Amino acid sequence: MMRLLYIETYKLFRQSRTYYAILGLLFIEAIVLLSAYYQGTEIIDIVLANLKDTFYFQGNLINGSLIIYFILNSFWFHVPLLCMIIVSGMLTTEYEEKTLQTVFMQPVVKWKYLLAKYIVASLFTVLLVLMLALTSFVLSYGIFGKGDLVVYTNGLTFFEHDDAFYRLVYAFLFGSLSLVFFSVVSLTFAVLFKESFKTWIVAALFLIVSTLLLKVDLGNEVWNQIAFFKLNNTWQYFFNGNIDWKAITINSVLLGFYTLVTMLVGLFIFQKKDIG
Amino acid sequence: MISCQHIDKKYDTVRALHDVSMSCDKGEICGLVGANGAGKTTLFKILLGLVTADSGTVEISGDGAKKIGGIIEKPALYHYLSAQENLRLFSKMQGANASKQAVKVALKQVGLPLDRTDPVRNFSMGMKQRLGIAVALLNNPSCLLLDEPFSGLDPLGIEALNQLIFDLAQQNQMTILISSHIIDVLSTVCTNLSIIHDGEIVQTGATSAILDACTKGYTLCGSGIKNASFLSEYHALTNGDCTTITASANEISEIIFKLSQQQIGITSCKPVLDLQQLFNPKQK
Amino acid sequence: MKRLGLLLLFLYATSGFCQTAEAQVSLVKSRLDSIESFLADIKLHVDISFIKMPDKEAQASFKKGEDVIITSQDFVLIPKRGLDLSFSELFEYPFMAIDRGKIEGQSGSLLSISILPSDTKADFSVANLHIDTQKQRITWAEINTKKDGTYTLQLSYPDSKAVLPTTLDVSFEMDRIRIPLNFAGSDVAIDRKKMRKTDQKTGKITLTLKYRSIEKTE
Repeated sequence: MMRLLYIETYKLFRQSRTYYAILGLLFIEAIVLLSAYYQGTEIIDIVLANLKDTFYFQGNLINGSLIIYFILNSFWFHVPLLCMIIVSGMLTTEYEEKTLQTVFMQPVVKWKYLLAKYIVASLFTVLLVLMLALTSFVLSYGIFGKGDLVVYTNGLTFFEHDDAFYRLVYAFLFGSLSLVFFSVVSLTFAVLFKESFKTWIVAALFLIVSTLLLKVDLGNEVWNQIAFFKLNNTWQYFFNGNIDWKAITINSVLLGFYTLVTMLVGLFIFQKKDIG
Repeated sequence: MISCQHIDKKYDTVRALHDVSMSCDKGEICGLVGANGAGKTTLFKILLGLVTADSGTVEISGDGAKKIGGIIEKPALYHYLSAQENLRLFSKMQGANASKQAVKVALKQVGLPLDRTDPVRNFSMGMKQRLGIAVALLNNPSCLLLDEPFSGLDPLGIEALNQLIFDLAQQNQMTILISSHIIDVLSTVCTNLSIIHDGEIVQTGATSAILDACTKGYTLCGSGIKNASFLSEYHALTNGDCTTITASANEISEIIFKLSQQQIGITSCKPVLDLQQLFNPKQK
Repeated sequence: MKRLGLLLLFLYATSGFCQTAEAQVSLVKSRLDSIESFLADIKLHVDISFIKMPDKEAQASFKKGEDVIITSQDFVLIPKRGLDLSFSELFEYPFMAIDRGKIEGQSGSLLSISILPSDTKADFSVANLHIDTQKQRITWAEINTKKDGTYTLQLSYPDSKAVLPTTLDVSFEMDRIRIPLNFAGSDVAIDRKKMRKTDQKTGKITLTLKYRSIEKTE
């Protein structure tokens, strides 16, 4: 199994498209950073406009913490989309170029081969998140400095810098679980559809629908809690005044469960299917 | 040794294979001839374990983790990696020796240069075929299946591949099964032939016996062939320096003897096959 | 005669009480005027229903004749009103002090006085004060400004002689916050009904002062 993991990692990082995707993400992040700065100034001015009637403000809210928060908010579409494209390509390319046939003409166990892809895809996704988090922290704090973070969650909540820092870190970490889920889903779609374009379209559709359903009230408290598309904003719980660790843990476990089930479905289908 | 018995395979309503049985012994080079869509590739995929047959059995003898290697249609390699990297990767994934030395030996075995480091996408078709065979030979399988290995190769490439196949069968005592729709090439390299038509094996046996039974004539080529007037008895059709005659395998020896008596040299003598007879032997 | 006596008594009483209100205010004013400067560490606690903010630390410095200056390394909300611990804004222009009587239920020495500025330049219309007549200091104030609404101050002192408070609660009215929706965390449900209900809000900031130095005139 370790050999297969090494091989998948090797193949992933030997392909130029992986680096195109990483560069693409960094480029998008730079754009978001700049727009967050300019948009953030306006928003803070609007938000604080009627507070200005009653208060003076000492200190600057347009700081690294706020910029990272804006980057975090903008994360949840383009990053999973790019992840899904790269990850699904790990399998669809092998189908299209028929290297999968060459692989299974060697004594390699099918489900282990795909499991290695799932694991490497998940680790790659986490690595991408870490890379984006690191760059956004370094750039945001480096350029805009430290300071309190203000967020709106049914009221204005201010977090001191140290507190904000840890909340942002946790938000990235727990948000990566959601991204891993989407990556695993895209690889499972690749098992089902085999072709690149079909897989991309279905994966993008899945992402869009999940994002839309996030805001839909299912009319049932239980379903609102456990439906997989309701779990993708767990990272936001870190920006309530008191962090609800119980809810976060439950959501994370549920998301892990959905990820595992999706993976098992993919493994089962792949094992049963003929190659070629 | 590789054999299959009563293999059936259907894709939706299309019957790809029906009651296919064949075998190839150790050290033999066996050919599977059939038109496009006859079922050759499907059979090979079943033998290689890529596709599951609806019914029937496959038996492959041999020691080691990998009993059978092969190429299906075109060799599928990681085009962004070099030849050495491809070999190292495929070796590693099956726990075979992936050292630099082992890779060099593998490249040498198929006649590939040791110093090329550019990606495989830059290779010619012939080189890709060789590399595909090198991958198929990793981990020392006892059987080798080559599906249409000559397609896309030039005459030099075909000759080189023929030699390689000979050497593998002779020196390594490998069981080699080759499929093609080009019978001319298979007839020179295979000791046994199986003919597949519409998913069924219609003939199987020694190459010479099958070809003899289907030969309806010969094309003789030589600079003085036009002067061999006696050939007109055999419904000769002349085209430049070549003449096609209607004659059986029993008659050709005598015809060549007569030509030599008349001091008429021939440069080639190719049988002309009755393809109907070849693919539908029951219809006469 | 009797009527004249009663009238004289009434006049005496009212004139005597008017003098008491003004005198009380003067006494308090003179005490506050004795403060030349002070330097204090402040802890700010925000108590506004739609704002969650941790307690902040800041420094306050005051020089007579100037506004209080608050400085902090953190982001802090500093109330525009209520930091005038010397109440100089109230006494800047001529005013009339009206005795509203004693406060029931408090320790007996609290007197309710209304300050009405005579000059239209004053930026408040009326200020209601509770003055501790024994300790000669203001414990509560409600100031109706002309432009900035009404705010109240609740002052607590460390001991009977202290001129400056150690705790100051500043309460004020606030309008509904208008938040651009795309600022909200990406999937926050905006409770519009709740937002509409909370049109007029009251907020409070509690300042806890720890004085490093207080300079007084002798």
